[in-house]
Amino acid sequence: MSTFSPAVRRQLLQGARLAARQGPYRCFSSSVRHAEQPATKAPQPEDNPPRTTHFGFETVSESLKESRVGAVFSSVASSYDTMNDLMSLGIHRLWKDHFVRSLNPGTNPLTSSTSAPAQGWNILDIAGGTGDIAFRMLDHASNIHNDYMTRVTVADINSDMLAEGRKRSLGTSYAKGDRLKFVEANAEKLDMIPSNSVDLYTVAFGIRNFTNKDTALREAFRVLKPGGVFACLEFSKVNNGLFNEVYKRWSFGAIPLIGQLVAGDRASYQYLVESIEKFPSQEEFRDMIKDAGFVVPGKGWEDLTGGIAAIHKGVKPVERA
Amino acid sequence: MASPARLTRATPARHLLRSTFRPQTPKTRPYHSYETPQPSPYPPTESAILSSALSHVPNHGFTTESLRLGARDAGYLDASTNLFPRGAFDLVQYHLVTRRLALKDAVQFPEKLGVGAKVRCLALERLRANREVIHRWQEALALMAQPTYIPASIAELARLADEIWFLAGDTSVDTSWYTKRASLSAVYSAAEVFMTQDQSSDFKDTERFLDSRLEDLKAVGTAVGSVGEWVEFTGHSFVNLARSKGVRI
Repeated sequence: MSTFSPAVRRQLLQGARLAARQGPYRCFSSSVRHAEQPATKAPQPEDNPPRTTHFGFETVSESLKESRVGAVFSSVASSYDTMNDLMSLGIHRLWKDHFVRSLNPGTNPLTSSTSAPAQGWNILDIAGGTGDIAFRMLDHASNIHNDYMTRVTVADINSDMLAEGRKRSLGTSYAKGDRLKFVEANAEKLDMIPSNSVDLYTVAFGIRNFTNKDTALREAFRVLKPGGVFACLEFSKVNNGLFNEVYKRWSFGAIPLIGQLVAGDRASYQYLVESIEKFPSQEEFRDMIKDAGFVVPGKGWEDLTGGIAAIHKGVKPVERA
Repeated sequence: MASPARLTRATPARHLLRSTFRPQTPKTRPYHSYETPQPSPYPPTESAILSSALSHVPNHGFTTESLRLGARDAGYLDASTNLFPRGAFDLVQYHLVTRRLALKDAVQFPEKLGVGAKVRCLALERLRANREVIHRWQEALALMAQPTYIPASIAELARLADEIWFLAGDTSVDTSWYTKRASLSAVYSAAEVFMTQDQSSDFKDTERFLDSRLEDLKAVGTAVGSVGEWVEFTGHSFVNLARSKGVRI
């Protein structure tokens, strides 16, 4: 040590101090590695939690996930749209438009046969608090099919997201009519929705946050009419290796950073990208839909933007007498 | 002491061996047999909706409207048409596939009929299967010509040509296998377009059109054959001439 000059010694000391402070030090390039490390601060309320699920990369007890997801969405509700635009570079709007167009909701009362009285579709939009999908579906039914009977029930577990949706609905023509309804509900227990009553069940970027996806799928099967359609727009797995690398860099590096800068909330957006990573692949989710009793069209899903998102559909089969 | 132990160890292995050689009865057989009925290419739900949708085509055309009405007839909802991501084209394809598969039961050949006559008979029968929807067939052709659906449509045309040659009893295993299928595809699709404009009774004009195109094919085939013969003869003569002049070939 004595051979070093005082200046060099000071430098070495500083380096050691920096290394000791490695915890809070997170630069842009190290955030991927940081995200891939298992989080250590997983709260364990009991010594032996009965059943666990994942909250991003953390493992939490099932009873806790709901409240933590709730906290995330309460905190992002107000900046939801701005953040979506920034994170997806505006592509989420195209996905949502395509989702609704491919579902083609609504029946033209003039061209449909007179035997069936025009009642429109009864649509249930789960986890659709901000009304993104609901407004699009009502617009599609009215403008494409001249169907002013189709109605949408927007259900969300989070009252802050519903409040955001109610606020936005004031800017549309549906705020006063009876075609749009907001309900606070858990997708796993839709007691207020009678069985066999829904034509179309949609869930866009929501099912990822459910504690029990299988229970929610079975509940969807229950409320749908025979022949009714389950449709889900959700983040999925990118199928091109090279593109996947770029995408992972973007999602783990840039998205939490944008969240921090724009919404002032890094943790929520860290959860967002981790929950995307944890969501099952296209094939696995297709099989979950099949297991719930649905018939899937073709291979069962449609990839969007190379598999960043995917549309899954299932039809509840009609039982033959 | 060691031998019983070895014996017991050997037994499960022998069991395993025997079980692998036992004839299995799998659901899908890895071989093709003319006797076993082929499974339907469409699952029951899809074929129920599509077949009832097909009955609405004469009135509503190859449209999503027909699909919706078909879904209602089958006890499904308007929303159930989401089973068909390609919409009206799925209906067109269902028509193509089912008519192709129906071909083998539609035609009975008398004894002593040449392969060419059988092909004519089969092609005509397949054209006749469009009779019910011929006034809507241009819609189907337009859908098939959309860039997204061209590969699927061409593949279906190739399968039809293959089916016709196969049912006609063609057994060629040389390049003519390809030329036969390609030329029949061309003739058949031309005849199909002609038929959409046919005003004659019982599609007499289409029949005549098909006959003359098949005649053309035969003429081209003969011409190609003659040219081949001439080339071969000339080549041989040239070689022989060269040899007679002392060239060592």
